[in-house]
Amino acid sequence: MLRNDMRFAAARRDDGVRKISRLTWRAGIAGVICSAILAVAFGYHAQAQTAHQGQSGTIVVPNQPPTPAQGGGQVTSGAS
Amino acid sequence: MTTAAVAEDTFEVFGTTAVLLVTVAEALGPARALADRELAAVDLACSRFRPDSELTALNQAGGAPQTVSGLFADLIAAALRAARLTEGDVDPTCGRALVGLGYDRDFAQVKAGNAGPPGAPGTAGPAGPVAGWRSVELDQAILRVRLLGGAQLDLGATAKAWAADRCAELIAGQLGCGLLVSLGGDIAVAGPPPADGWRVRVTDDHAAGPDAPGQTVTIAEGGLATSSTTVRTWTAGEQQVHHIIDPATGQSARSCWRTVSVAAGSCVDANTASTAAIIRGEAALGWLRDSGLPTRLVRLDGTVATTAGWPRDDDSAAT
Repeated sequence: MLRNDMRFAAARRDDGVRKISRLTWRAGIAGVICSAILAVAFGYHAQAQTAHQGQSGTIVVPNQPPTPAQGGGQVTSGAS
Repeated sequence: MTTAAVAEDTFEVFGTTAVLLVTVAEALGPARALADRELAAVDLACSRFRPDSELTALNQAGGAPQTVSGLFADLIAAALRAARLTEGDVDPTCGRALVGLGYDRDFAQVKAGNAGPPGAPGTAGPAGPVAGWRSVELDQAILRVRLLGGAQLDLGATAKAWAADRCAELIAGQLGCGLLVSLGGDIAVAGPPPADGWRVRVTDDHAAGPDAPGQTVTIAEGGLATSSTTVRTWTAGEQQVHHIIDPATGQSARSCWRTVSVAAGSCVDANTASTAAIIRGEAALGWLRDSGLPTRLVRLDGTVATTAGWPRDDDSAAT
């Protein structure tokens, strides 16, 4: 009788551990998914904001300044 | 990949000279066709001298809200952005001031005949601050515009440069070649440049030859624009005036610079900065330096200053 009770208690314990383990895994996976969604959302927002600033927030500086050249130009920049 | 510039087309548009350079000869015809279509649309949207333009209709609306095309809304937005970035120094509500100075028709006609005596319409008589860019209400979502406080638009400070950018991006995107678009000296480039970049002669007058006094530089991306008080000039009353209006006075800007050239990420940004520099005078040096914009500034006496990596020429004094 005592042996049966112990076996039953051990089975209940193992069952509980499995449930906790499953819940832990699911919570972990849900956390990873939420993190990914937030990362994508914030990344998109940051990118959109950068593009917006490039268009509207400031006069955009060229990636490189003009370099000196010899002779005449292919085209002339002056007032019209 | 870079290639040599192999084809060029020169034509008249907006009362000035346009130049199209492409790195693939076969692309020249299609590029010109695309440019013609875009430039015609821009002219119809924002010419101050066409009775059928959207700008004329807006200026004549007496402050009533107007529904406009997406293109015209974009042009107005670009002008308002220039005003915002220069704290109102490049202001699109200079239309009334220009008319007051006699610039009320195509410039060739203005140049041909002087305006009347001082004080009369079309002369350099008493003016005052312009209405200001904040008097322009633009809702781009529903394409509605309204001019408050008697404001009259003139998009001359930004429209040509904006059109150069638009043509360059459109043509490079559709044809895949490298190209340079110059509209009266407002230059935009896009696509793969020639191996040595695009060679540009920077001088007072865009119509001057390739060896005119000035400096030759190369650019590979973005835009380059030059503003000057020496070219678009005429006589109003007994005064010599020019087309760059100081919004604070409603008169031609009195500047220590006769010509300013700026390189920027786009032609419209370059032109915004070069126009603002003329209006700001000496204070422009610090602003351009802080902004990191490569600039060449020519004083009234011909001496040259440069900022932010613009190469020095023989007589320049880097600041």
